[in-house]
Amino acid sequence: MFFQQLINGLTTGSVYALIALGYTMIYGILGLINFAQGEIYMCGAFVAVLLLATGKVNFFLAFALGMAAAALLGVILERVAFRPLRGFHPLVPLISAIGASIFLQSLALLLFGPNDRPFPIQFTFSTINIAGLPVSTLQIAILAAALGFMGLLVVFVRYTTYGKAIMACALDRDTARLMGINVDRMVSLTFLVGSALSGAAGIMMAIYYNATYPRMGLLPGLKAFSAAILGGVGNIPGAILGGLLLGVAESLGAAYISSGFKDAIAFAILILVLLLRPQGILRGRGD
Amino acid sequence: MAAYVVHLAILAGIYIILTVSINLIIGYAGQVSLGHAAFYGIGAYASALVSLHWHVPFPAAALTAMLVAGLCGLALGLPTLRLKEDYLAIVTLGFGVIVDLVFLNLEFTGGPDGLPGIPPPSFWGIDFRPPWLYLILVSVIVILVLIATYRLVDSYHGRALRAIRDHEITAQVMGINTPAYKVVVFTLAAALAGLAGSLYAHYITFINPETFGLHTSILILTMVVLGGMGSIAGSVLGAVILTILPEMLRQAHAYQELIYGGLLMLLLIWRPEGLLGRGKLSLKFLKREG
Repeated sequence: MFFQQLINGLTTGSVYALIALGYTMIYGILGLINFAQGEIYMCGAFVAVLLLATGKVNFFLAFALGMAAAALLGVILERVAFRPLRGFHPLVPLISAIGASIFLQSLALLLFGPNDRPFPIQFTFSTINIAGLPVSTLQIAILAAALGFMGLLVVFVRYTTYGKAIMACALDRDTARLMGINVDRMVSLTFLVGSALSGAAGIMMAIYYNATYPRMGLLPGLKAFSAAILGGVGNIPGAILGGLLLGVAESLGAAYISSGFKDAIAFAILILVLLLRPQGILRGRGD
Repeated sequence: MAAYVVHLAILAGIYIILTVSINLIIGYAGQVSLGHAAFYGIGAYASALVSLHWHVPFPAAALTAMLVAGLCGLALGLPTLRLKEDYLAIVTLGFGVIVDLVFLNLEFTGGPDGLPGIPPPSFWGIDFRPPWLYLILVSVIVILVLIATYRLVDSYHGRALRAIRDHEITAQVMGINTPAYKVVVFTLAAALAGLAGSLYAHYITFINPETFGLHTSILILTMVVLGGMGSIAGSVLGAVILTILPEMLRQAHAYQELIYGGLLMLLLIWRPEGLLGRGKLSLKFLKREG
């Protein structure tokens, strides 16, 4: 029972971590909370599900296109809703992001209707024993894929020129500009990468829960943000750790405390973290 | 038809209290609250519960609502108002979700079924059951709230709040106790939202968690941004427009949220000061260097 809840928690936690990475990167470079991250997650899931439902594309292509659509949405959103407002009082882009989030959510509601869509292809997953404990291969696949994406991101940020340029912008935008980095392009790239990861997270959750619906991004988005704060905003390993911890805490809390308050656990943790250790577990860039 | 107009006017009055109160937080103190509907709900439930169980008269129930909502605002504000605007937005949003779940899961709040049979107000020998009498009651309270907020924002304290919004560090250097101001204004706004909740509960006589969710918080926020952040007249106008508009566009009901979301974005890009925001106070002029 405990072990099963732990695995459930790690699975959802790894998905929260993927979304949290998007938040953390965007916050790192712009100091902006992209409230619409949950809708980008939803967009990735919808594109993949709709493509698969046509029966003409295979799973991996649909997955990649879902991520691409999410990435594109992220970049467009930055152009339309955030870039014109850069340099304003922080309230202004924040409220604009909230507007974007509601807009996208209700647009999806109009286009696709309120009902859950099942995932169009059925995978056959079995339960295997690891050290005498039963684990579903679906959970292993999701965990592995999420960790793989996180690894790729870390490599991208640490070892590629573009990744380093993003970090430079996050550290000091003006100095980065003086060093010849095109800051606007790096901001776009950050949105591209962060949104692609959220899109991937959305597709994985669509498979895991076998449900895709317009409001699916709301709670995971908010919880992932809590995860980003938990780990220290702007801190990439922190976001991963925060996501996993939050997933596990939520799953154990739902099992042992009260399932009715499952969704409250993440926010209770968030408020506690901000109260006791506002810089997060691993020190973040936010104060 | 006349009855319908009175109904809308009562709702508009309740929204005016909500909008004016959150405008104190957003437009004057420069903090974002996305959980204002939670205080609205707390007030409604507190007022309904004391009326149902202890049969207290309406003025006492409304005061209880303000007190409970205000205390909740204080409890949330004390630890969180040290945070930057964007953290505060998420914390208040999370608070809204938690409060919603509490209403849904607790025994004495009636769970998803809510609380029916809340008595309409009747005090000083007047029975406020007829809607037009209730409208007078709401109007009197709205006018009192407006007078109080006008006096507040035109005072030394109001200027201190605007200084915090414009530049917190400068305000601090000028000797303004910024954390205290933020907590007090947050508590005050929560108490006013509680009052609005009480007025709603005793008018509709039935409440359930659905009314006090995130979408209501967003609606209130849209009203403030539409009218103009930092303008009380703007808040009133925003509340009235967004109470009436959805009724006139009944067929467009499905598009309501789409319109709110789009409105928020477009307004901020093209007219961040809203309909009635004055240049001096509008956020457009808060553009920061760099």
